[in-house]
Amino acid sequence: MAARAEDIATPNIDELFRPTHDERARQSFVSMLRKHAIIDLRAAVRRHYESEVAPALRARGAEPATWRDIERVMEPDPLHRLYSTLRYNAQEMCYLSVQPAIERALPEMIDLARDLATHNPAGGTLRLNPQFEIPRYLHALDVHLAPGWVTAEHTEDDVAQGAVVGFGGKVFTGQHPYRKRPGVVAESIAHWIQRTRPGFTPRRILDLGTTAGKNLLPYKSAFPQSEAHGIDCGAPVLRYGHALAEHEGIAVHFSQQNAERTDFPDGHFDLIVSSFFLHEIPLKATRNVLRECHRLLSPGGLMVHMELPDASSVSEYDNFFWNWDTHNNNEPFYTNYREQDPLRLCEEAGFLPADAFKLTIPDAASFGEERYARFLKGELPAPPHGSGGWFIFGAERRG
Amino acid sequence: MSKAPTEVTLPRTTRGKRPVFFDDPSIDQMMTFVIELTTEVAVLRERLDTVERLLDAGVPVTREAIESFQPQAAVNTERDAWRDAYLKRVFRMHPTASAQTSDPERGSSP
Repeated sequence: MAARAEDIATPNIDELFRPTHDERARQSFVSMLRKHAIIDLRAAVRRHYESEVAPALRARGAEPATWRDIERVMEPDPLHRLYSTLRYNAQEMCYLSVQPAIERALPEMIDLARDLATHNPAGGTLRLNPQFEIPRYLHALDVHLAPGWVTAEHTEDDVAQGAVVGFGGKVFTGQHPYRKRPGVVAESIAHWIQRTRPGFTPRRILDLGTTAGKNLLPYKSAFPQSEAHGIDCGAPVLRYGHALAEHEGIAVHFSQQNAERTDFPDGHFDLIVSSFFLHEIPLKATRNVLRECHRLLSPGGLMVHMELPDASSVSEYDNFFWNWDTHNNNEPFYTNYREQDPLRLCEEAGFLPADAFKLTIPDAASFGEERYARFLKGELPAPPHGSGGWFIFGAERRG
Repeated sequence: MSKAPTEVTLPRTTRGKRPVFFDDPSIDQMMTFVIELTTEVAVLRERLDTVERLLDAGVPVTREAIESFQPQAAVNTERDAWRDAYLKRVFRMHPTASAQTSDPERGSSP
């Protein structure tokens, strides 16, 4: 505890982001614009489909059978077009609205991150690989319409994309009822593990595609005795994440690695997690990542991925809704990923079918303990993914 | 050691194919203008709101006072409610749109 005073004095890289009055106003408005598209218009489009479009087609004996049929019917629909254009533009504006303030802060941010990477006041580490080969699927296009995504480096020791993805993400989730708090996914999974596996105390935790570690830090609070590792392909996000964790006084070991093949020894981790990750990479890479998880897990270890619900877990209409991102949010592997059965993917990676699971768990921050107890008894389902619940899958590694 | 960059301009456009949602791509471009302009009006409105709040508090209105204005939670709640209502007013859908789209001939065209 002697290091505590020093921890408090560690500057916060996030505080170097100082938008002007009007930039802040723009960011707040874009959050609301995004909410209008993803919550209000999404619901309006669904109501319109269910109460008008589908019944009219049904009356002619031509009701859409698959999500692709629904997509074909809905693409020319004026309401769906309005929803799509608002969603797309709001998505772009999340990042555009934070870039000017980041450009002004960048020299100071880089200096601070560099200083913290040298001194590591909280005891974490940052391990970058100058020879690292960024996989083509990561730099061929900008995922989530974020220019530069997680890997682009604009100058030496750059942290800009860490800030762009981080602050853009805050605008993105600013008015979302279940995503306002950073790290809610990790909190929810950690809570679920603690409630379903009392006594599980991982010695080492690994977060794959960690970006700046937003959904890694809460695991350290849940399992304080553990050693936390986060890997990503993007150096700027890792530098930024390291600076943030050092400020928080949380020792995290960040390293630049491809999750398809890491340099950690066999059986090194008791808990391997990821969130919003596997649907962004090609299926072949997903298979490699899951095999790598199997290699890295210790006997009795646990793997939990928060992911989009697979196609067979939701309705055809929901598949139509989810797959919008494939072409419209620069997530080309999204549909193909969702068509896989996660349990089958686990089995292919070497896990025993009986040890694999997929389910939707409640959002820990909003569900309430009394209802959680009923969820655990099977009396109450979790809300749908993204609307108060989170879809997860994974496996335990036996013996 | 300290070799901070003098100036970095971040890319403002995205690598990857931009989708076209409307029959005429000019409408996609026009929608971007409309949405950006809607946003600018909201920004301007918020600046005016800040000025009014400074006046209410008897604080001399200077650019510095506007920049350093820190809204209380209640002000943010009020502003969020305004933004929400404003958006719903501006992006008002024509009631006839539903009737048009439920036309099966139109709906099943590629």
